[in-house]
Formats: sequence, structure tokens, C-alpha cells
Amino acid sequence: MKNKRSLFAVPYIIWMALFVVIPIVIMLVYSLSVAGDGEDLSASLENYTGMVLYASVFGRSFWLAFIATVICLLIGYPVAYMMSREGPGFQRVAMALIMLPMWMNFLLRTYSWMAILENNGLLNQLFQKLGIIALYNRLTGSDIQYFQMIRTPGAVVLGMVYNYLPFMILPIYTVLTKLDAKLIEAAEDLGANSAQVFARVTLPLSLSGIISGVTMVFVPSVSTFAISRLLGGGTQMMLGDLIENQFLGGAYNPHLGAAISMVMMVIVVVCMVIMRHFGDGDEEAMML
Amino acid sequence: MKKNGFGGRSLIGLCFLFLYLPIFLLIIFSFNAGDSSAVWRGFSLKWYGELFQNRLVLDSLATTLLVSLLATAISTVAGTFAAIGIYSLSKKLRDPVLVVNDIPMMNADIVTGVSLLLLFVAFFNGWGSIAKWLNSWQSLIEFPTRLTLGMGTLLIAHVSFNIPYVILNVAPRLRQMDRNLMEAAQDLGCTWFQAFYKVMIPEIKPGIVSGALIAFTMSVDDFVISYFTAGSATQTLSMTIYGMTKKRVTPVVNAVSTLMFLAVLIVLVINNIRSNKQAQLAAKRASLQPVRENPRVERFREWMGTPRGKLARRVTATVLAVAFVATTVFLTAFTTSQPVVNVCSWGEYIDEDLIDEFEEQTGIRVNYQTTDSNETLYSLLKSGGADYDVVVPSDYMISQLIEEGMLEELDYSKIPNFEKIGERFRNLPYDPENRYTVPYTWGTVGMIYNSSMVDEELTSWSALYDDRYAGQVLLIGNSRDAFGMALKYLGYSLNTTDPAEITEAYELIADAASRGVFQGKVMDEIFQTMEGGNAAIAFYYAGDYLTMLENNEDLKFVVPEEGSNWFVDAMCVLKDAPHYDEAMEWINFIASTESNLRNMDYIWYASPNEEALEMYPEWYEEQYGEELDMDIYNIMAAPQEVLDRCEMYVCLPKSVRTLYNDLWIKLGI
Repeated sequence: MKNKRSLFAVPYIIWMALFVVIPIVIMLVYSLSVAGDGEDLSASLENYTGMVLYASVFGRSFWLAFIATVICLLIGYPVAYMMSREGPGFQRVAMALIMLPMWMNFLLRTYSWMAILENNGLLNQLFQKLGIIALYNRLTGSDIQYFQMIRTPGAVVLGMVYNYLPFMILPIYTVLTKLDAKLIEAAEDLGANSAQVFARVTLPLSLSGIISGVTMVFVPSVSTFAISRLLGGGTQMMLGDLIENQFLGGAYNPHLGAAISMVMMVIVVVCMVIMRHFGDGDEEAMML
Repeated sequence: MKKNGFGGRSLIGLCFLFLYLPIFLLIIFSFNAGDSSAVWRGFSLKWYGELFQNRLVLDSLATTLLVSLLATAISTVAGTFAAIGIYSLSKKLRDPVLVVNDIPMMNADIVTGVSLLLLFVAFFNGWGSIAKWLNSWQSLIEFPTRLTLGMGTLLIAHVSFNIPYVILNVAPRLRQMDRNLMEAAQDLGCTWFQAFYKVMIPEIKPGIVSGALIAFTMSVDDFVISYFTAGSATQTLSMTIYGMTKKRVTPVVNAVSTLMFLAVLIVLVINNIRSNKQAQLAAKRASLQPVRENPRVERFREWMGTPRGKLARRVTATVLAVAFVATTVFLTAFTTSQPVVNVCSWGEYIDEDLIDEFEEQTGIRVNYQTTDSNETLYSLLKSGGADYDVVVPSDYMISQLIEEGMLEELDYSKIPNFEKIGERFRNLPYDPENRYTVPYTWGTVGMIYNSSMVDEELTSWSALYDDRYAGQVLLIGNSRDAFGMALKYLGYSLNTTDPAEITEAYELIADAASRGVFQGKVMDEIFQTMEGGNAAIAFYYAGDYLTMLENNEDLKFVVPEEGSNWFVDAMCVLKDAPHYDEAMEWINFIASTESNLRNMDYIWYASPNEEALEMYPEWYEEQYGEELDMDIYNIMAAPQEVLDRCEMYVCLPKSVRTLYNDLWIKLGI
């Protein structure tokens, strides 16, 4: 009987070979070649050696994604923690409210931030009305009409935090709700104060949620191209922009695009392996 | 456990405020009487009315729903079976399979999308000979020899990234399940299938349901993977919106999103009210029953077991199935029965009523798609991402396409309206013998500035690099135009191949950038930015300036004294276009005087049809009962003395294109 059931895995294994493994192999082949005469490919390491030119794009992408991930964690953990301590009715509503924004297209949500952050946007208008800009000018002796918010690295980080925060909250929350309350009671009975309970019991036990959350925020952040284009105003070129530009944009060079994708993939995988070393990544975290 | 105090709750509240602020704005602006996403012009429901006439949005909504539903259905079934299979494997085999299963989730979307794109392209390249061989070997089924990205590849991609989520949700249920249950059922006389259906499925059902829900949500919200795998003849809602964010998001999209959002909200609210009632019941019972598992799951399962739950389940399933079959049948019937022409143009570049009229007149269905730049179009054509018949590239791209043998010659005997195209728009350098093209529009590039922010009258490109306007200038987001205008300012030709001159142009821009002159690099985002008074100076196409002028009267346009670029966009037919005759009809229809007049009126780009060009002021007066401002007319259709100081782009040699790219990347960093 056991064997019969394991046969069910075969079609999916074939599927994965076709649509997960082979594409990555093709990408590797592409990255190791350049377009020769006509349709032929010729092997070359050029795509990798020439990548030094893009070092600063790599640096910026990883740095901004790192900041966004840290902010998401700093906001997401307390929120998930507070949520997990509420009554079941509240929790259900809160969960729904966190999932719901995904039904409003993410490009539209990001576009909406453009209207908020523009130099003449809603936020700057608000600052003007409240006299904050005048106050700032008086304090610093400057003469500005608005705060430059859009088309800055900060705006890109904001866009990342905004779009991916739910992916930080959800896994942490899931792990926290599954946490055995008896463990905390036991710790309290044994004389731990609330800070100690948190540091020695709750936090270590929720580590798997944190790791899932960090992965789910960091990976899309580092590879985004829509957010940096909309909120960074083309001044904050990221890896995603670079890759997109090689495949569907002006620079058309799929070989270089494949090479950049490979390098990004490897760096991300290495980061994740190191992270997982600290705790057992919990795959259940992405459950409803 | 301790409950949260005021502080905790307000933290959650703040978090939700942050998440929902932009969404409230989107909903509010779906009721805007104007078409801006930033300027409020009063309350109106007109966008909801227009929604039902906007084919681009409706088509992409249909595609999104169809793909998401199909992908969810397939991946839920496949994922469930796969999970059962994987958990019956020995641990040694199971672990590597689970690692591979993790790849699509761990990988960045863009890597998944790109790698699938490469797979499809590689497969399509090889397919031609396979199909020929298959066709020669049997005559029962005629295999198409040319495949392109589209619905099929989009579906494969969505199924691929959905299955892992289903497996992840089903797996824990399988692990929790008592393995002896299945055996017990079989010992009691069930066949294996009965045991599977009556014991295992109910046991893992919550996992299947949540897996399907996540898969569906992911599918609907996905943009990146679709973007790379759908080609562009098939567009999901996300892709349509992405195309629009570059120019202007029509509030129609806000309206459709608001409706989707409300639909999901209502489902959630109803569900919540019901489960609250169930929760109260359960709470009563729970006092007798100390063992407690996840209350949500328990309640859900209980509710599913009640007669009402069963009924609801059946009704929902039937309704979904019927809707699903109906949509599929409708869409396939709709798409296969009619002659078709696939057209690819730019965003907001046609009066959409013309499409409906053409369809009524000829019975040919127009599959109208858009891309955002010549370069994107080129990449799509190169990667096999498109199966267009008619494209509308600009001059320099046309010559590149001709050079690479990608265009088909036109049959001018079928395009009588070509006669009306002015002499000055024929036999241009990009198509010297005029064998491939029928011009669509023409215009100039000029400097746009906001007269409330710039005190002087600008006449020179120098303003773009001037410290006085630091932080106020927008650079154009494509290398050709950005370097081109710098070359003009320096007194060189737009088409120079001298690396020294190009490098000088680069240094001019780089120097200005280091002094903080540029606020950013924009393409079609320029509309929102300039209209909202968020930047003082930019340069862009004359026709688009006139569109901006409708929303902000302070904007001025000038073709600087150093000269500029003038361009022609022309209709061409791709090599081996499957619908050649239909393409000729479409081109002829668009080249007519009537079409040109209406297009000109709608998009503000000048027409190459001399009759239409001449008639336009008169026609305008008839339509609107007021005289056309001749200044506007002269900006749209620049007079000869302006054209005399403008140059047309020609296709640059590959080495120069590479230099442009390298310098551009250096600039962007």
C-alpha cells in the first residue's frame, strides 16, 4: 500500500524536473555563453567577469533589502506578538485584515504611495498646512518648499516595507499562536519575570517564524523592480531593474541577465543557509 | 494569558492604518471626477460606468480570473496527490524532493520568471522541427510549427509556483494524521479508493482548502512571473496596470480593484459573522470538552459538517463549476470563431472606439495589445514572446527590424489610403523605398516646463543642466533620448558614432547629475509628476505635452534653438504574420482620413495623412463648437521651420549601442 501511494509523487517529480530544475540549468548555460554569429552560442565567462561594473547595484540592492527586512522585523514582530495575545475573534479579523490588501493589486498600492510622497503630494501638503515645513525652515535657516521623499532610497525602502510587511507578520504570528502556553506558565512558575520569559522562552521558540518571515521579506525585496521604478524614480537602480532590462528592456542581453540572476540566486541561497543554521526554518509558517 | 493593554492595541491599529492608508486613497480616487490619481475634481461614478466599456481592463481581468481559477484547480489537485506521494516516500528520497519543492518559493520571483522564459524560448526554438517531423509522419493532427508565449505558458508558470504552496499546507495534515486510519478503513472492508476518499481526504481537507486559497491569492496578485511568461499577447490585470503606471493609471483600474476588494471583503465579513456564531456554540461545548485543537480549523470543520454547511458547500461548488465552464466555453468560442488581427502599439495611443468600429465593419476581431517602448517590443519579438501581426515601432527601430529581416513587405494595392500620406512622410531614411511601412503619427521632442516655477522663457537645452534648477529637472529614462538631447546641446548630430562626442555628452549629464540637478529619471511617470507641479523642467514628446496641458495650464513647451529630434511611428507587419490580409485591412482602416482625425483628436499626436492634418482645425470647430488654438496645433504638428532644426534618429551600429548601454548603466549607478 505504501508503494502504491508513493507513486503519486512521480508525476510531480517529473513536473519539477521539467519546470524547476531544467530552467535553472538552461539559465546556467545561458549565463556561461554569449551570443555568437547568428543563432549560435559560444561559451564564455565574459558575463561573470564583466559584472564588476554592476557591483554598486548589487551593493545597493542588498543594503536596501536588508534595511527593509530589519524594519519589517521591528514592526512585524511586536504586531504579531500582540495579535497572538488577543481573543480568537480579534485574531480572526486581524488575520483577514492582513491578507486583504493582497487583493488590491500591489502595483496600484505602490502607485498610490507615489501620490502620497510626491513633492506636491498629500504628505507634503499636510506638512505645509501644519506649518512643519515653515518650522523646519526657521530652525535650520533653510528655504525649502517641500521635503524630498519620492525618488530617494528611503521611498524604495518604504515601498518594500509596505508591500512585504504582511509576509513578516503572518509566519511569526502562526508560530506564536502554536506556542504552548504551558511553557510560559512553567517559566513563570519557576520564577522568570516577563522579560526573561520573552527572552528565554518566547523568542527562541518563535525563531523559526522569524526566519521564514525574514526570507519572505528579503528575497522579494532584493529582486524587486517595480517598487524601485515607481518610488525610486529611476535613480535607485536595483538588481531586479538590471535583470528586467536585459530580458525585456532596452539593454537586451539575456546572457548577462542570466548571469546576474545566477549570482543573485547564489548569494540569496548562501544567506538563507547561514540563517537556517541559527534555527530550524519552519515551513508550516506559510499556512493560513 | 495576559491580554494587551491600550498600547498593544494601538500598535496593531497603527500597523493597519499604515497598510490601509494607500488603499483608502485608491478607493477614494475611484470616485474622482477627473482622471488624475492626485488631484481631486469632485465626486463621480463615471469610472464605474466606463469600466464596462474598457476592453483592455475587462480582457485582462478575464485572463487573470481564468488563469488563477485554472491554476488553482490544477495545482490543488496535483499538489494534494503530490503531497500524499511525497509523504509515502522513504526519508532518504523525501528530503531532496522537498528541497526542490522549496526552490520556487525561496527563489526570487524574477529568477523563476526569467528561467521559465528561457525554458519556453529554448523549447519553441526546437519545436519547429519537431512539429514538421510530426506533421510529415501523420496527417491526423496538424501541429502548429510556431509557438509563442501566451495563455499556455502563463498557466504552466502559475501551476508551477502554486503547487509548492498547496503541498506545504497539505503536508502537516498528513503528518498529523494517524497512519493506521487508512489501514483500519481497509480492514473494515473499504476498497483503497473508498478509504482514500472517505478517510484521508476529510482528514486533510482543511490543508487542501487553505492551500487552494493561498494559491488563488498568489495567482491573482502575481505580477513578476506573469510578466516574463505571458508574452504580451496575453495580459493579466497586473500587467495591464504595470503598463499604465508608466503613463497614467486610469481610474477605471481603481474602480475594478475597488470592486474586487469589496467582493473579497464581503465574503470575509459573512464568513466571520458565521464563524462567530459557531464560535459561541463551540465555546459552550468546549467547556465540557477540555481538549482543544486549533479553534479555527475545528469550527470550520464543524460548520462544514452541519446540513447548512454541506448545502453551502455543494451550492458553492456547483456555482463555481458552472461559472468556470461557462467562462472557458465562452472564451474559447469567442476567440476561435472569428478572423483576428493581432496589433501591438503604445499605451493610450488610439481612440479605442476605432477598434469597435473596425470590428463592426469587417467582422475581424482586433486583439489590441500595448508595450511601453521600442526596446521592449524588440526584446519581445526576439524572445518569441509575441505573435503580433501589426506593430507600430518608431523610425530607428524600424530600420533595425528591416536590417534583421524581421518585417514583411506590405501589399500597397490593398492599402488605397496610403495615397493620402504626405510626400514628406514617405521614403524616409528608415525605409528608403517605402516597402514596409505606413506612417501612423509623427511629432517632435521638446522641453516642457512649468511657468509657475520657471520665471524666464526657456529656449535652450542648457536649462536641463543648469544649477538654478537643481533638483527640479527630470531626465528621460531612455539612453537614446537622454544622450541625444545632450549631443544636440553640444552641437553634434543625434546620430553621431564618434565615441568621443558620445562620451562628452555622457560627461555633461554625469556632471549635472553630480551637482544634483536631476530629480529623477522618468518615462511615462512624467505625466503625473509634471501635472502635479512636482518638477519644473523635463523633455518629452509634443503630443504627450498636450495631454498634460489639459491637466495643468501652467505647462509650456518649446523645441529648443539647438534643435531636437523628430520622429515617425509607422505601422509594419511582421515576417510570417499569420493574419496578413486582416493586417492590410487594419492598416488601411487606420490610414483613412476619418481615423486619423479622430486619433489626432484623442492622442494629440500629429497625423501623416495630409488631408486629415489640414482639415483638423475645421473638424475641431465642428466637433466642439469652438476654435482650435493655433499655438496648440503648431505644437502638435510642428511647422517646417521647426522640423528643419530637428533630426530623425537612425539605427546606430551595434558597437555604438553597446557604448550607449555601458555609459547609461554607469550613469544610473
